[in-house]
Amino acid sequence: MRFIPFILLMALALSGCGSDPASKNVEIDAAKLKLFKPLPAKVDVKPGGPEAERVALGRMLYYEPRLSKGHDIACNDCHMLDKYGVDNEPTSEGHKGQKGDRNSPTVYNAALHFTQFWDGRAADVEEQAKGPILNPVEMAMPDEKRVVAVLKSIPGYVTAFKTAFPDQKDPITYDTIANAIGTFERGLLTPSRWDKFLAGDAAAITNEEKAGFNAFLEAGCQTCHMGVLVGGNLYQKMGLAKAYPELADEGRAKVTKSEGDKFFFKVPSLRNIEKTGPYFHDGKVVTLDESVKQMGEYQLGAPLKDEQVKTITTWLKSLTGEIPADYIKKPELPPSGPNTPKPDKG
Amino acid sequence: MKKIITYGLPLLVVVLIVMQFFGPETANPPEDPAATIAAVAKPPVEVINVIDRGCRDCHTNRTSWPWYSRIAPASFLVARDVTKGRAHLNFSEWRGMSPEITALRMTEACIEVTRGDMPLPYYLPAHPEAKLSAGDVKAICSWPEQQK
Repeated sequence: MRFIPFILLMALALSGCGSDPASKNVEIDAAKLKLFKPLPAKVDVKPGGPEAERVALGRMLYYEPRLSKGHDIACNDCHMLDKYGVDNEPTSEGHKGQKGDRNSPTVYNAALHFTQFWDGRAADVEEQAKGPILNPVEMAMPDEKRVVAVLKSIPGYVTAFKTAFPDQKDPITYDTIANAIGTFERGLLTPSRWDKFLAGDAAAITNEEKAGFNAFLEAGCQTCHMGVLVGGNLYQKMGLAKAYPELADEGRAKVTKSEGDKFFFKVPSLRNIEKTGPYFHDGKVVTLDESVKQMGEYQLGAPLKDEQVKTITTWLKSLTGEIPADYIKKPELPPSGPNTPKPDKG
Repeated sequence: MKKIITYGLPLLVVVLIVMQFFGPETANPPEDPAATIAAVAKPPVEVINVIDRGCRDCHTNRTSWPWYSRIAPASFLVARDVTKGRAHLNFSEWRGMSPEITALRMTEACIEVTRGDMPLPYYLPAHPEAKLSAGDVKAICSWPEQQK
C-alpha cells in the first residue's frame, strides 16, 4: 500500500520522457494526406503564339515601368519576383503614392488559383494583368489605347510582339499584352519540400513539421486550405464563426452585388505563406503566428492555444518553395523610341 | 457533506436558472435554395438523402433544435457542435468553390463517415435515423470518384 504513491510518482516522472516530437517518428494520416496534391511540373499556357517567345516578351512586360502613367511602376514593384511575389506591405503604393485598399497577393503559383484578385473579379492571370495597368490608384494608364500606343512607339517591342504573335495582323493589342504577361506568369511555380513529401520522400519534412501538419488537420484548417495550393480554390466569408472586426471591405459582394456574398473573399494559398506577409485581404495582420491565431478565432470558432499555433506555423514553413532564379532574371528592356510618350506624373 | 447539500445544491439551481438567460443563438441562418449542394453540384439523390438524414443538423442551415438544445448547459454543447460543424462543412453554402475543393470536401466527408467519426457517435442515441448504413457510406464515397 505504501508503495502505491511511489509507483504513481514514478509513472508521472516517466511520462515526461521521450515526448520530444523530434525524437519520435510522427505518423501522418495517410487518408487525409490525399486532400493535398503536389504542384504540377508545368502549367498549360493559353494559345497565341510560340511559347518561348511569349514568355520572353511577358518577362519584359512584367518589369516594364512604361506600362504606368508615370513610367515608374511595373508589375514587379508590387509583386516582386525576388521577394516571393509580394512587396511585404499592408497595401501597395501606386501612382502618386496612392495606397490600394487590399494586400497585394503573391504572383507565384497564381495561375493555378480558380479565380484572380481577392474578390475573384478576373477569371485567370491574363485577365488579371489587364486590371492594375488601368487602375487609377495603381499604374494609372488612362485607357487601353494609350498602353498600346506606348508599346508601339518602342521599336524593340514591335519586333518582340511580331515574334511572339506571328499570326496576328496587328500583334500589339491589349489582349496580346495580357496574353504575354499571363504566359510568363504561368511559369512562376515554387516547388517546396512539402511537394517532395507528397511525392513520397518521407524525410523531406521534419517530425516537427509533420506534427504541425497533424495539428493543422486537428484544428480543421484544411476545410478551406487544401488541394494543390493549400487554398486558392474557394471563396469563404471572413468572419465565418465570429464577425471580423474590419467590415469596410465587402469583398466578393462588390463584384456580384449580392448581399449573400458580403465579406466573402478568395481563400489565399498557404504556399510561401511564411514569406508573403502581412496577412489577410487588408494586410492588417503582421505575423504568421497572429494570422493563424485569428483564423482559429474568426473562422473555426475555436481559439487555438499558443502551442497549437506554434506547431501549425512550423508546418506552414515547409510550404516555402524555391524561387526560379533564372526564370525571373530581369531582362534588358528596349529603349524608348523618338515618339514614345513622356511620363505623366500628374 | 451536509453543508455541500445545504448550500451547494441551491447554488447550483440558481446557476442553472441564470444560465438559461444567457443561452447561445439557435436561430438558423437563411438558406438560399440556389446556394445549396443540391442546386450547385447536383449530386445523386442518394447523397442528398444521406445529407438530409445524417448531416443536416450540424452541416446545413436547416438545424432542428430539439427541446434539450434550448436548455443550458446542453444548449451550449449543441450550439458548439453546430457552429463548428457549419464552419467545417456546410451543405447549405456550396457556391464559390472550385471543382477541386468540392471533390476534396466530399473526399474528406467519405473519410469521416467510413471511420465512423461522423455522424458524431454521441449524436446517434437521440437521432437513430442518422446512423449511416454501408450503402449510405458507399453513396458518399463514390460521388467524389465520379466527379474526377
